[in-house]
This record gives sequence, structure tokens and C-alpha cells, in this order.
Amino acid sequence: MVCRDVENYISAYIENELDKDRHALVSRHLQQCRHCRLLKERTEAVLAKLPELEEEIPFFLKNRLLNIPEPVKVRKTRVFLFPKWVAAGIGTIVLFMNLFYFTNIYPSANREVHSLVSSIQKFIVKTGGLFEKIKESKDFLLFTFFNKKSLEIKDQETKKELDKKDVKGGTYG
Amino acid sequence: MIINAYSKSVYNIALNFIADRDMASDITQDIFIKVFGNIGKYKEEKNFTSWLFKISRNYCIDYWRKNRKHLQTVEVDEQISQESPTPEDEVIRQSEIRNFRQKILQLDPELRIFLTMRDILNLSYHEIAERFSIPEGTVKSRINRARLKLTELIYRGEAKHGLS
Repeated sequence: MVCRDVENYISAYIENELDKDRHALVSRHLQQCRHCRLLKERTEAVLAKLPELEEEIPFFLKNRLLNIPEPVKVRKTRVFLFPKWVAAGIGTIVLFMNLFYFTNIYPSANREVHSLVSSIQKFIVKTGGLFEKIKESKDFLLFTFFNKKSLEIKDQETKKELDKKDVKGGTYG
Repeated sequence: MIINAYSKSVYNIALNFIADRDMASDITQDIFIKVFGNIGKYKEEKNFTSWLFKISRNYCIDYWRKNRKHLQTVEVDEQISQESPTPEDEVIRQSEIRNFRQKILQLDPELRIFLTMRDILNLSYHEIAERFSIPEGTVKSRINRARLKLTELIYRGEAKHGLS
């Protein structure tokens, strides 16, 4: 074992943390080497002195620390946040669609966007028509159930008309 | 309570890191303000003590980097003032402690903190490794390095003293 190794093991040797063989090797080296023996003695002296460096916290500091306002626990309410990147993506798509819709810089894209818009319009018109049909239908039970009020109003109107006809028929008849 | 449990350790780390009581007091206060300000974050960490010591270490090192020049001039002044011999034992002891702190100040910032935790606050290697999330072997080798360097600094100073 050389001096360099002893330096590396010096703490472990002082704290008795080396295995038996290594401990014996370091001991043997220390007996022979004056320099390493001195190093060991000095390190031990330093280690004996170091715990004296621990100090109690000053009274004024403790007071200052105790005056730091305690953290207030704020309950985190879970708010659904729309992911930023999704919003950015949608925004970009809309922007490009506007660009292609109103300009003709890329004709095929312009055609596609126009056809897409017209198909959306058609869809809206169709669904609107469907809703109208549903409202007017008297045959299908489910729809009539939902349109009960409108049916009642219509029934009342037809009754009134019939009554009027009856009255007319009575005067002339 | 957090203050009662940890203030002494944090103060001693700061004191032996910076070798100045007033600055150590300010650093301790700043560390606790920071800890209370970010208390919500510690839940993510497994261990509160580990989180607190990491904050303390980082704050001390940042403080050291910002005020290094000023701190080094303080060191020279202290060395001059301690040359005058004092008859009272307590004054001598205080002078020795001041001398030790000045020598510790010459170590690398990381080594200073490890040495304080092991040899002044008497924490085990395992505890230190756990608090800084580093391997125990690394802690042992760093502390050994810090001790050797400190011994060298202290006895080199004494040798110079003896010659003059």
C-alpha cells in the first residue's frame, strides 16, 4: 500500500469502517510511514475539533423565523383547461381555410374548401328540413309525443273552424 | 413545527458555509421564506427533509457565487485580527473556531456542505446521501477529500505561524 491509498482510506480507517485486511494494511503502512502517521493524527485532531463549530440558533433569528407568515393551504380546484397546442392547431387550420377560401393562391385547395363549405351548408339545410318534418309529422308516435303542444293548438284551430262552419250551416240551413 | 425542527441545521449549514453570523442569519431567513413560499411543491418529493436540504444547499451556493469577492475580503480581515493573542480561554476558543471557519471557507462549496453535515451536524453518510439523492460512496469520497484538504489548510497555516 502506498501513501496515496492511505490518503483515500484515511476517513474510513479513523471511523473503523474498513474491512479487516485493508485495516491491517493501513495500520502496517502507518507504522512505517511518518508522513501518513502525522496526517492521520492531524485529521483526527481536526475531526475532534469540528463538532465545536455547531452553534445554537440566535434568539433574535428564531423570533424572525417564527414571524414568517405560515403558508396558507389553498385547495386546488380542478379546472378543465383546453390544451394550448390543440387551440393553436385549430386556430392555424381555420386561418389556412380562410386563406384558401377567400384567395385563389392554391386553386385545388380553394375548390376543396368551397366544396366542404357547401356540403356543410347542405347538411345544415337538410337537418333543418328534417326538424321541420319532425315538427309537422302526426303519424309517428314519438314525434307527436314531443310535439304535443303544437298538435293541441292545431286541434283547437281545426275545432274552431268546424264550429264556424256549423254556425254558418245553421243560419243558412 | 418546521422552524423548531430544522432551523438549527439550516443555520449551521449557512454559518459554516459563509463564516459570518449576520450573513448566516439572513441566509437562514431567506431559505425559510423560500421554503414556505414553495411548500406546495414538496408533496411531489418523497422526503421533506431532503427537499429542504436541497433548497438550503442551492441557496448557499448561489449566495456564495454572487458574493464571493466580498466574502474573500472578509476572510483576509479575520486572519489579520486573530493574530493578536488573548488570555481568556473562551476568547481563544472563539478565535480557534473562527480560524476553522475561515479554513472551511477555502474549500469547494459542495465539500463545505458535506463536511458541515457529517462532522458538525453529525449526520450519517447514509442520511447525507439520501438528502441529496447521490450515492453513499460519492458522499464518503467527498467528505474524505474535504477532511484532507481542511487538515492541510489548518496545519499549513500553523506552520506559517510558527515560522513568522
